[in-house]
Amino acid sequence: MAGRGKIAGLVVLVLLALLPLGSGYLFSDFYVALVLRIFIFGILILGFDLLAGYTGLMSFGHAMFFGTGAYVAALVWKYLTASVWAGIFLGLGLNTAFGYLLALLCVRTRTIYFVFLTFAFSQFFYVAADSCRAIGGTDGLSGIPAPTIAPGIALESRAAIYYFTLACLVLAYVAARRIVGSHFGRVLVAIRQNEERVRFLGYNPSVLIRRVFLISALFGSVAGTLMVSFQPFVSPTYYHWSMSGSFMIMALLGGMGTLVGPLAGTAIVIVLGDVLSTWFKDAWMLCLGVLYILCVLYSPGGIAQIARNKTVAGLVSRLSGRAPERLGRR
Amino acid sequence: MGRLQAGLPGVTVSFAGVLANILYGLTIGSAYTLIAVGFSIIFGMVGVLNFAHGGLVMLGAYLGFSIMALTGNFWLSLALAPVGIAALGGIVERLLIRRLYGRDIELTLFLTFGLSMVFSNAVLLIWGGSSCSIQLPSYFKGFIDLFGVYYPKFRLFVLFFICLIVAVLWLFFARSRWGSVIRAGMFDIETVQAFGIDIYGVFTILFVVCSGLAAVAGVFVGAMRSLSPVMDLDFMTVALSVVVIGGMGSFKGALIGSLMLGFAEAFGAQVTPGLAKFSTWVVMVAVILIRPKGLFPER
Repeated sequence: MAGRGKIAGLVVLVLLALLPLGSGYLFSDFYVALVLRIFIFGILILGFDLLAGYTGLMSFGHAMFFGTGAYVAALVWKYLTASVWAGIFLGLGLNTAFGYLLALLCVRTRTIYFVFLTFAFSQFFYVAADSCRAIGGTDGLSGIPAPTIAPGIALESRAAIYYFTLACLVLAYVAARRIVGSHFGRVLVAIRQNEERVRFLGYNPSVLIRRVFLISALFGSVAGTLMVSFQPFVSPTYYHWSMSGSFMIMALLGGMGTLVGPLAGTAIVIVLGDVLSTWFKDAWMLCLGVLYILCVLYSPGGIAQIARNKTVAGLVSRLSGRAPERLGRR
Repeated sequence: MGRLQAGLPGVTVSFAGVLANILYGLTIGSAYTLIAVGFSIIFGMVGVLNFAHGGLVMLGAYLGFSIMALTGNFWLSLALAPVGIAALGGIVERLLIRRLYGRDIELTLFLTFGLSMVFSNAVLLIWGGSSCSIQLPSYFKGFIDLFGVYYPKFRLFVLFFICLIVAVLWLFFARSRWGSVIRAGMFDIETVQAFGIDIYGVFTILFVVCSGLAAVAGVFVGAMRSLSPVMDLDFMTVALSVVVIGGMGSFKGALIGSLMLGFAEAFGAQVTPGLAKFSTWVVMVAVILIRPKGLFPER
């Protein structure tokens, strides 16, 4: 079964790798850009899922890591150096610092309070970016030059950015897979199921949660940086709560607690957003909202629910299925 | 006007300055109370995280704006906008949220997030993106001399009006039979049901009342400040911060948390004018570090 999954994964990967070759002949460049956006958000969603799906701590503020990654990249590429690595690693560095501080605060709470805190802190970043003139304020920053991979080799053409991002996504996926399969990943699932027992076994859940929070932040940071290489501008909307909320919806649609599901959810949300914005123009957010509502009402397990028995990840998540929190108090 | 602005740059610690800040803090804090109490009670009792609560405040403000613009009667807008939003809250509970009772609590978060997207886009479509403000009747314009502070008449009215509402609410929760049903419901819904009380009916009424309160706050804030289609986010931040500060599902916590935020804003504006909008987070972080469950955790 795992073998079949691997083959399917390879086939998808090869198809994705071939995609830019057909642009201009078979379909327009627009579709390459669309898939590229799915890649970028896919990286973030992998990290998000480690925290929300596996550890069971829903973050309503993941846009703060995305936004910080994006802002750092924009500032570095615009004012310091055009190296893509400088952007990525400085973003990672700053997000490590922020992520660590926020983890210290957020880890003191669980469940719904965790949602509140992550929301409130991401809101802080939004207000800060919106009011700080030095980083562009409400208008954001534009005119960011294309970054370079090595001196002289610019990440400029759509295909170059596409392959670079695809490579990052594959790396992120492998990393997430390794984490999930590791001892650490199993303890995370155990924390979701019964934190008290994990503590009895001699682990310190707070330390582990801090760690996964930080890891998750780093995935978001890389996604933010890549976003700027794709669209050379940043604005406070990268910190907006609709961003954080859409991450939740992406993971929800795909089914949390699996790695492939949320990636599929990301693809659905992005394609849907695109289709709706061409069909409904100004009212597309309204339609997307209605769709979210329908999705929650009629398929709360996401599309992974349908394929649940067919993948290993699905089996794991079914065995470790979360007991729904009931109405009322224990 | 001169002395009113004593609270802005050039920090002057005077009796009038402090009093002015206290009054401003009380007024905005009281408006926050109306928002936060509803949000907190709905979570505490019904177990629903209503991320559309800020959207309801915003819709209330815009509805009030339209009624004011059409009729020119402020009292009519203060009465009708909350009624309309209360009805909307009831419909939302009946049609959507009711289906999620007994399921994973995070689902309500997703659902109300979708709802808030619908609300904010609806506001954008109906009223447009430009900012506007609810026009006050002439007798609410101008200032009143309060112990040397020139304070806007309207804000004073808002303060008294909300104090009245809060007093009524407090009496209702603390003294009335249905208030005790609601308080009991926060602890154990099954037992309340076992007494033969239609708890789902109570939930609907709770949504109606809390949405109405949100709209009252919306009309007041819309008249004191300006309206914009992104204001729901500010209200959500306020509601969440108050709940983090005061503790979930606690009436007292919501009241004190709101006032703390109001004071932090008012005094923050005097001490560090540019950074006043960050005062919310300063208070919140301080509270989390000292008491992670909030100042007055109900449970």
